[in-house]
Amino acid sequence: MEQHIVSAFDRDLEAVQAQVMKMGGLVEKALLDAAEALERRDEVLAEQVRAGDAAIDALEELIQTDCARVIALRAPTATDLRTVLTVMRMAAALERSGDYAKNLAKRSLVLMQMSPVNGAPGAVRRMAKTVVSQLSDALDAYIARDVEKAKEVRRRDQEVDQMYNALFRQFLTYMLEDPRTISACMHLHFIAKNIERVGDHATGIAEQVIYLVDGQLPADDRPKFDSLGESVD
Amino acid sequence: MNDMRITERTVQTNQAKITARDVQVYYGDTHAIKDVSVDILDKAVTAFIGPSGCGKSTFLRCLNRMNDTIPICRVEGKILLDGEDIRDVRVDPVQLRAKVGMVFQKPNPFPKSIYDNVAYGPRIHGLVRNKAELDEVVESSLKKAALWNEVKDRLAAPGTGLSGGQQQRLCIARAVATSPEVLLMDEPCSALDPIATAQVEELIDELRANFSVVIVTHSMQQAARVSQKTAFFHLGNLVEYGDTTTIFTNPVDPRTESYISGRIG
Ligand SMILES: Nc1ncnc2c1ncn2[C@@H]1O[C@H](COP(=O)(O)OP(=O)(O)OP(=O)(O)O)[C@@H](O)[C@H]1O
Ligand SMILES: [Mg+2]
Repeated sequence: MEQHIVSAFDRDLEAVQAQVMKMGGLVEKALLDAAEALERRDEVLAEQVRAGDAAIDALEELIQTDCARVIALRAPTATDLRTVLTVMRMAAALERSGDYAKNLAKRSLVLMQMSPVNGAPGAVRRMAKTVVSQLSDALDAYIARDVEKAKEVRRRDQEVDQMYNALFRQFLTYMLEDPRTISACMHLHFIAKNIERVGDHATGIAEQVIYLVDGQLPADDRPKFDSLGESVD
Repeated sequence: MNDMRITERTVQTNQAKITARDVQVYYGDTHAIKDVSVDILDKAVTAFIGPSGCGKSTFLRCLNRMNDTIPICRVEGKILLDGEDIRDVRVDPVQLRAKVGMVFQKPNPFPKSIYDNVAYGPRIHGLVRNKAELDEVVESSLKKAALWNEVKDRLAAPGTGLSGGQQQRLCIARAVATSPEVLLMDEPCSALDPIATAQVEELIDELRANFSVVIVTHSMQQAARVSQKTAFFHLGNLVEYGDTTTIFTNPVDPRTESYISGRIG
C-alpha cells in the first residue's frame, strides 16, 4: 500500500508492529527455554524465564499505549484501523502466552524437587516446540499478510489438542498406577494445559491475520478435537 | 450478541427518497459528473466524500436543480424524487427547493435581518398562518441550528453582520425552517467550532428520524459519525457507495481506501 501523506503515521504504525514482533520473539524463547529447563532440570534457566516475563509485560504495555495514541492522533480507518486493532489483540495474546511460559518455569522449579516422571518432560517439550512453531508461523503470516498460511495455522490447532489429550491420558494412568506421582503429575498436567492454551492464542493470532486482510473473521467454527469429557476447561 | 450492537447506526428503511440514474453534468466542455447512479435513502444520512474538485457540490446541486442557475451547466440523466422526475417541465423549481432544502458551502445570508432570513421560506411557502406561528418557527429553527442564544436579543440586526460560523448556522436555520423532506448540506460545519459542530451533528441525527439528509464533508470522522451511507467521489465518478461502517472499516475499492486513510491516491 502507498505511504501516508503524513509520514509520521507510517512511522507510528511501523513502530508498533516492530514492537509486537519483538514481543513474539521473546515469548517464543521463553516457552522453549522453560520447556528445556524442565527437561534438563536446569534451575538457572528456569529462573531466567521467570525474571524475563517482566520485559514481555513492559512491551505489551508500551504497545497498548502507543496504539491508543495512534487511535487518538490519527483516527485510523480501513486497513490502518484493522492493523492497530490486530496489533493490540496480538500483544494481549502474546502477553498471556508469556505468563504461561513463566508459569511453566515456576512449576518446573517445583518439579525439580520431586522424582522425575518417566518420559513426561520430553513429551511436554515436544508439545512446547509444536506450539512455538505454530506461534511463529502465525506471526510470519501476520508479517506477510498471508491468509493461506494463517488458515493453515488454524487447522494445526488440532495437533496440539491431540498432544494434550494424549498427555492427559498418560498422566491419569501414572497417577492410578502410583499415587506418589500425583503431585508431580498435577503440575505436569497444568503445564500441558497451559501449553495447549498458548496454541489457542496462536490460533487467535492467525484469525486476526485473516481479519486484517479480509476485513472479517472466518465464519466457520474451528475444528475442535476433544475426545475426553474431562479435558474441557 | 446482536441486540448489543449499536442500533442507532442502522438504517430505518431501504426506501429510496431520491433515485439518480446515469447522471452527467457538464460545465461547457468540462465533464464534471460522469455517469453517476445512486439511491439516496429516506430517513437516513448519506455522506458525500472525496477530494476537492471531484464533483460533490456539483452532484448535490443536481438534486434540487440548483445547477439550473448556472448558465454554462448542463445536466443529463434521470433524477427522481419519490419516483417523480424533478426535471419534468411541470415541476416548479421553487417548490422543489422547499422540499429539497440546501445549505451552501459558502454562507449566503440574504441582506435582511436575522429574523427575516429564517422567516423568508415559511412566509413565501405559506407555511404559517400568523405572526405568532412565524415567531415560533423562527425560534425553533434558530434553536435547532444552535444559534438562538447568540442572536435572540438582536433578531432585527442584519444577517450579514454575523461571524462566518454564525452565518453558516443562520443558513442552516433558514434551510430547516421550511421543514424540507430532504436536506442537502454542503460542508455545513467548515467554519464552526467543535461545540457548534457537535450541535449541528446532533441536529442532523434528529432530522433523519423524519427526513433524508445528504451531507458533503471533508472530515472523515464526521462522515463516519453522522452518516449511515457514504458515497465516495473521485474525478467526477462515483467510485464506491455503501454502508458507512463498511466504507470506513473495509472499503472495496483501493481508491476509497487510499483517500479515507490519508494516502496519496
Ligand atoms: N460554476 C462552475 N463553472 C465551471 N466549472 C465549475 C463550476 N463549478 C464547479 N466546476 C468544476 O467542476 C468540478 C467539480 O467541482 P465541485 O465544486 O463540484 O467540486 P467539489 O467536490 O464540491 O470540491 P470541494 O470539495 O473543493 O468543494 C471542478 O473541476 C470545478 O472546477
Ligand atoms: Mg464543494
